Amino acid sequence: MKPGTKLKSAVCDTEVMIIRCGEGAIECGGAPMGDAKPETLGTPSADHANGTLMGKRYVDAAGAFELLCVKPGKGSLSVSGAALSTKDAKPLPASD
Amino acid sequence: MRWANSSGVRSRSCLPRKVTPPFAIPLSGWADAQLAAMAAFTTSSRLTAVSGTMLLGERAALNGFVIPGRHSCGGGCRLFDTRDAPVALTLARPDDRTLLPALFGDASVDPDDNGDIAQRLRRESAADIVARGRVLGLAMAALDEHPVSPAATITAQGLPAAPATGLPLVIDLSALWAGPLAAHLLDMSGAQVIKVESVNRPDRMRQGDPALFARLNQDKANVALDLRQSADRDALIALIRRADIVIEAARPRALLQLGIDADRLVTETPGLVWVTITGHGAAGDAAQWIGFGDDCSVGGGLSAALHTATGATGFGGDACADPLTGIYAARAALTQRTRGVGARLILSMSGIVAEALSNEGEETLQAMLIHWAASVGQPFPAVPGRIAGSVAALGADTAAWLASC
Repeated sequence: MKPGTKLKSAVCDTEVMIIRCGEGAIECGGAPMGDAKPETLGTPSADHANGTLMGKRYVDAAGAFELLCVKPGKGSLSVSGAALSTKDAKPLPASD
Repeated sequence: MRWANSSGVRSRSCLPRKVTPPFAIPLSGWADAQLAAMAAFTTSSRLTAVSGTMLLGERAALNGFVIPGRHSCGGGCRLFDTRDAPVALTLARPDDRTLLPALFGDASVDPDDNGDIAQRLRRESAADIVARGRVLGLAMAALDEHPVSPAATITAQGLPAAPATGLPLVIDLSALWAGPLAAHLLDMSGAQVIKVESVNRPDRMRQGDPALFARLNQDKANVALDLRQSADRDALIALIRRADIVIEAARPRALLQLGIDADRLVTETPGLVWVTITGHGAAGDAAQWIGFGDDCSVGGGLSAALHTATGATGFGGDACADPLTGIYAARAALTQRTRGVGARLILSMSGIVAEALSNEGEETLQAMLIHWAASVGQPFPAVPGRIAGSVAALGADTAAWLASC
């Protein structure tokens, strides 16, 4: 998908803009995102319901995907089932 | 409520009628009028010693900058042509260029090639590409746009101030130029200022421009906190509850996401005046837009005025929305303090530039802009220098200030 493409959640208000895109399905709340909102919204799956934050950038572990949240919602973002994390959040240390 | 209407000193008839100097920094006359008004009602001799020219030209003097054309003095912002009006695009942060493929909707953009960027922008309409850039979080402005927000808006009315028991306490949460200058002017007016920095995101100007940093942050105490830790956030909120004035320049959502609710603190803390500096205001979509000193000077209409006066396309100063906003913010905070009631003021950098433009005497401004455009590549007008006072190291006063909470 082209960078700059906007995608909408099928289960909540979330909208993202693609900054960078690799191979895989972009999902919100566990359901694939699309160009248009479905007529009736589904519900986020319990595993993908942490919510999205306005203006945050979300990335996958490999750095192939980067999505910008342009409208927040209740679902959380994933690519082919693997959860995305916010870009500025540093990983926790392995031990303290 | 529009702040601009609440003060008579800004109307044109009250500005000092000075003889136009042969070569001056555009809008320095307006800046002088603000500083003079502040010096008069605080009776501060330190404020009397600074001028608009000094503050608008200080960074250029320290760095040997020349009068800019389409490239900003600091190098982070450029004016590009589009199909219609020129646009200012700031690519100062390391991450900004990674957004360019999304800006143009094309993965094949070479984000490091300014020629490629210029060529692509020539095919776009200014309004469309600026709207798109702002959604992406890029600092952009079109030369022909009008600011969407006034210079200042009050979003929360606070409580009456308690009787003063010492020096006014100012918490400066800001970084770079505009906010730190505002807090510095408050320090000069006789307040005690604490600069609060995040240990994860300290003010990058400390390393990036130590000479300017020293002038803007001299004589401030320094507290460093890790705002990701709840104990540190609590300490900051406790410190704010003791303060008279807060200066910050975060996007409104960033503070809320940290659990710091400015409007609520203003309605709970007697007399607290909270000044939020934004690029373009905090109403509607503009709350998400960012802005820096050069692109906001374009958004406020200074480059359009330069173009109208001379036919040239260029910047009208060195990131002048920053020092103009710093001066305006200090005056706005002091004026609100004299009312004896707290408030949250949202300032818009582009709105402040527009207000300065509409209050600078028309003939003076014309003459300044014509001289300015003819001097591209020449040194800035000479600025009286000033020495820097002592600068506290990052976190030097954390223990002292937090222990006394």
